[in-house]
Formats: sequence, C-alpha cells, structure tokens
Amino acid sequence: MAIPGYSYEFSHDHLLSIEDLSRLDIEHILDLSEEFAEATRAGRRPEPHLKNMTVINLFFENSTRTMSSFEIAAKRLGADVIAMPVAQSSVKKGETLIDTAMTLNAMAPDAIVIRHSASGGVKLLSRKVDCAVINAGDGTHQHPTQGLLDTLTIRRAKGRIEGLKVTICGDILHSRVARSTTLALHLLGAEVTLCGPATLMPSGTETWGAARAMNDFDAAIKGADVVMMLRLQLERMNGAYLPSQREYFRNFGLTQERLKTAAPDAIVMHPGPMNRGVEIESAVADGDRSVITEQVEMGVAVREAVLKLLAGRRV
Amino acid sequence: MTRTAITNARLLCPAGNIDTIGTLVIEDGMILSVGKAATNADQTIDANGLCLAPGLIDLRVKTGEPGSEQKETLATASRSALAGGVTSMVVMPDTNPVIDDVALVQFIANRGRETARTRVYPAGALTKGLAGDAMAEIGMMRGSGAVFFTNGDMPVENASMLRRTMGYAASCDAIVSSRANDHALGQSGVMNAGAVAARMGLGGLPREAEWIGLSRDLLLAEATGCTLLVDQVSTARSIEMIKSARDRGVKAYVSVAAHHLFFNELDVGDYLTYCKVNPPFRTENDRQALIEALADGEIDAVVSAHDPQPPEEKRLPFGEAAFGAAGLETVLSALLALVQDDRLSLLDALRPVTSSPAHIIGQPQGRLAEGAPADFILFDPEKPWLCERENLVSRSLNSPFDGRRMVGRVMQTYVGGEQVFSR
Repeated sequence: MAIPGYSYEFSHDHLLSIEDLSRLDIEHILDLSEEFAEATRAGRRPEPHLKNMTVINLFFENSTRTMSSFEIAAKRLGADVIAMPVAQSSVKKGETLIDTAMTLNAMAPDAIVIRHSASGGVKLLSRKVDCAVINAGDGTHQHPTQGLLDTLTIRRAKGRIEGLKVTICGDILHSRVARSTTLALHLLGAEVTLCGPATLMPSGTETWGAARAMNDFDAAIKGADVVMMLRLQLERMNGAYLPSQREYFRNFGLTQERLKTAAPDAIVMHPGPMNRGVEIESAVADGDRSVITEQVEMGVAVREAVLKLLAGRRV
Repeated sequence: MTRTAITNARLLCPAGNIDTIGTLVIEDGMILSVGKAATNADQTIDANGLCLAPGLIDLRVKTGEPGSEQKETLATASRSALAGGVTSMVVMPDTNPVIDDVALVQFIANRGRETARTRVYPAGALTKGLAGDAMAEIGMMRGSGAVFFTNGDMPVENASMLRRTMGYAASCDAIVSSRANDHALGQSGVMNAGAVAARMGLGGLPREAEWIGLSRDLLLAEATGCTLLVDQVSTARSIEMIKSARDRGVKAYVSVAAHHLFFNELDVGDYLTYCKVNPPFRTENDRQALIEALADGEIDAVVSAHDPQPPEEKRLPFGEAAFGAAGLETVLSALLALVQDDRLSLLDALRPVTSSPAHIIGQPQGRLAEGAPADFILFDPEKPWLCERENLVSRSLNSPFDGRRMVGRVMQTYVGGEQVFSR
C-alpha cells in the first residue's frame, strides 16, 4: 500500500524475523502475495522472476508442508530448487553449521531457505553467506513466513487487521508461530490475546506485542474475531507439562460449543498439522468457519512474494 | 642479591590502605620497603607516575590442562594472566582427569612451576571424579597444597553428600567453594530466564535455581560450621541471602565474575555466543546490585571465571554453543571501568582481586608490605584500549568484551621481583 509522497523499496537482504520488518514491509509483502494468490486462482503462471536462479532448501528438521510450500513457490517463479538431504550430510558427522554455510555459499546459490532446531541458528548462518536467507523456522524463535501467511489469511477473510481481536491458544512457550504471528498482527494493529496452560506460557509476551496473556480459554475466546489453535506436542502430555490429553482438551480444546462465544463471524485457524480431538474438534476443523486450507494456499503465495523480493532484488 | 627501587610510582595497597606517591624497594623476590626512598639500590626503575599495585589473585581459572590442552594450558593461561596483571591463579579441578587426589594436585603445582610464569594453586575436587557420590581426599589434598575444594560447575546434587563433605572439610579447616545452583531448575537453560529469553526462543536459567542452591549451601555451611566460598553470585537477592546468613554467623565468602559487573542479559543481543556464560548475565537491576555490593564490601573476590572455549565450541547456534568466556585479560579493566564511573574507589576496586582473595587462600602476596612476595603490577588507570579478540593472548579467543572500548591497562607485571610482562 503506497503512501503518497513516499517511495518505498523493500531493502532487506534476508527474512529472519518479523522483528526486522516494518509495517510498510509487511503490507508490501501481503499485497504482493495477494497478487500471486489471485494469479494462481485464475490459473495464470506468474512471471519467471527467479529464472536461472538457484534456491537451496536446507531443512535440518523434518517438514513436509513448509518445505513443499517453498519448493512449489520457487518453482512457480522459475527457480531451480535443490533440496539438501541434511540428515545424511556431513552436518551429522560433526560439521558445524558455519562450515555448512560456507560450503553452500561456495556453490553460489541465490537464496537459502533454512529450518534449524536451534533458535538463532538461521541468523548465524545468514552472517556467513552472500545470498538471501529465509528463515523457515528456527527453534522456538521465529517462523516469519508463517506469521505473514496467517496475517494474509486473516486480512482476506476480514478485509482488515486493524482493531481485530485475535486469540492464539496452545503451547505458546514452544511456538515459533505464536511469536511470529503475534508480532505481525500487532504491527498491523490487531489486539492479540495469548492463551494456554500456565506451564506452556512464557513470561514477557507483551514484548512480542501481545495485549493479554491468559490461562482461561473461555475468557480468552469471548468475542474473538479470529481463533488460532496451535499444535500441541503430544510428548508434553507425559505429566511433565500437562496431566493428560483429556484434561487439556477439556480446558483448551476448541469445540463448536466454545466457538459460539467468539464473534458470530469468527474464523478458525491452525498452522497444522492438527491433533484432532486434542486441541481442536474435527467438526470445527472441517467446519465453515475454518480457513485452515486457505492458510496452506496463502503459504505458497507469501513464499512466492518473499522469494521474489529477496532473490529478485539481487538481479 | 639485587636491590631494585621502583621510583615515582603511585603506590596502591588495599591491605595497608596505602595510596601515595613513592618508591617500592624489592630484594631477592621480596618487598623490602614501601614508600620510603631507596638506599643502596643496585637498580632503579622509574615508574613515570604509573600506579603500582599488588599483582592480581584470581580464584577461578580453567585452563583445560590436563585433558583439553587445545583450549588452554597452564602456560598459555599464564601468558594471558600476566597480560591482565594476574600473578596468582587458582585453577579449577574439573579437568580430565579430575584433580581429585594428591598426585594430581602435585601434578598441577609442579606443572605450574615448570611452565607458568604466574603462581599456580590447585583447587581440589570435593567429590571423586566430581561425580557427587564419594568424598575426595580433602585432608590429604589440603596437605599437598590444594587451596579450597569445589565441584566446579557441577555442584553436588545430593544434599546429604554435601552435608557430610562440608562437615569433613570443616574438620580439616578446608574451605568449600560451591556454585549456587539447583540442577533441575536450569536443566535446559542457556541464558537468564525471563522475557528476553522467551522472545528469543531460548531456554532460561532461572534466578530461583541460584537462590534455592544458595539457600541449601548456606544452611549446610551453618549446620556444619564449614567455611563456604559462594562461587560467582549473579543476582541481587543472592546478596541479601548471604548478608542474612552472615548475620547468623555463617562463615561465607562470596565471589563475583568480573563480566557480571559489566554485562546484562540484553548483551546476548543477536545470539552472541561469547556472552554465553554460566551463571548467565542477569538483569540490569542484578548487575547494579552486584556493583553496589562490591562497593559496600559485601563481595570478597572478583574472579575472571576464565573458561576459554575453542572456536568449534563457540561458532554454533546459541543453544548448542559451550558456556564460558576468556577473562584473565579483562578483569582489571572491568573494575577500572567502575572506578571511571565513580562507582568504586581505586582501592576498593583492587581489594577483591588482591588482599581479599589472598586472605581467603591464606597466601602472603596480594599486599605491598615488607616481607611480602614482590608480585606487583604497574598500570595506567586511564589508558583507553580496544578489546579485540584477535589481540588477546589466551589460546581461545572468546571474550564478551570483544569489540568493547576499555579503560585502564597493565603496563608491566612482576612475579617474585622478576619482570614477566611488559607492554
């Protein structure tokens, strides 16, 4: 969205965290993503902005959706995509992340999409390479394209972000999605409530832009325009963080009954993959309020936009 | 016998409350006189108005020798120490093998004499192999020169074991040094627990872990009559807890790492692994409280907590990188920064690195007094310098001070009357 009298240029070399972006940056990415989404819906192929470019998908953690999403996005833009089989690589034999970065850099890719189990791992790698680096999730820190695709999905469903009440519920402590999405929504003027059991709620969430942090889901969901459920890692159910799936679902599961207390036109989101019957009832996940499939669709569009902006500006 | 007079020096000695311009006369490795003009000096050195203070005594140094010589050896650590004005260093027992018997204590002492230019004092392990389940030979190691006993970074988990060990140490008149920490609370932590760690997606080391560990250690010291050295306190509340224990008659000394007086949790910045230390840098309030406690004389020793790590241990994502920082070359400058800020007098800044640690380990140096060993430094308290890791002398170059502008620099270092470093 251009502001009259100002010229805007996307000036970032990498996408590591929503924290690095301004409101204008986010709006620009969302606008561009929307164009890509509309083109796909209309059956049009986008311009080959990344023709003759190489994108490396470097996933140190298993991921099907995010990796495929980036791969499809890069290929639609005409890039050659190389998936690095990290599990079998020398990284497992003691090679440090920096050594891996320098090795990949020597192959002169145009962009590296990286997921790593350590918070800050992607930033460390970005310091050692010359190409654009896109964070596809680092530890429990950030997953910026997820934050952007969530924001885009909401904007399309609601027509705006400003003033919306968004409730994000689940394992906030370990969620990079919560950190990214909360920041992005806050920057665009939404009022974000974070909710979860006390054992899975970190301190200081106001510094990510959360308006409220609560342990009572019934209170948190009241009047919400958007309800986003987070995936619960089932290994947290062994009594260390939570007593049982049954108790979790009773207190924090999204049911049709609970959804009635949200705003009448509230939408339901989930970054996936879902644990049906643990954090969300199947009827809600598949119901008419659910925009979960559209989140996946917008994921490709956002990644097309980000790749175009980062790799494309290097031409 | 050569008699040497160091003239025109600002003599500083916290033990004797000396701050005067004068001459130090040394002979045969000992101090002959302080302040008085020299008579019959064979050699005169003009200090050109530099400060002359006792050499620093560092109660917490890790060298990696034996077992991890790629990190640091006694020889390389001593070079780094002398550049920082440290003339006596106590080395930690958590090496490979662990320093938990007489032969190994003697190995460290001998190796120190052979390869290091500083004085080297071994700290003995409190439990065999630091495993926490069997008492080490505290009495015999003490007899062989171990200056205190510690489980290093792995405080004894079993309170019953610690109680017995402390009781035994008390009967040998041995000091037990303990890192206040509750293992379970800080298991997966890598930086101070709180909003900053949560935002960065890093596991937290909570302050409660220090308080619970400290409270246990102080109670057991009280029950057994053991003298406790609280190793590297890091929070404001810990200071209050120690004060209150001392009021009850608990014999407790306390140390703080120099870098905790300089940095807070925000200095971790963009996952800067040089700032990954344990205990972690805490909040600014904690840092301020530590400085106040130092000014009030509540802190007995400032240590370098020198724990160098090679690049392969630090060039990793923050969560995976090793804890520890090289510190020998920056202790004095960290303290002098506080003098520059009018937070400490020069004598108060020197006390916790000279006379006070000397008193704890029962050694005669650390003071400018007739008959004391001639271990001293000449330093310029206002000389600015840029700390660049490439220019550090330590074998491993990981310093949180890398890139910082520092003030105050050691120009010459003497051990036993011999000049062992000059800049």
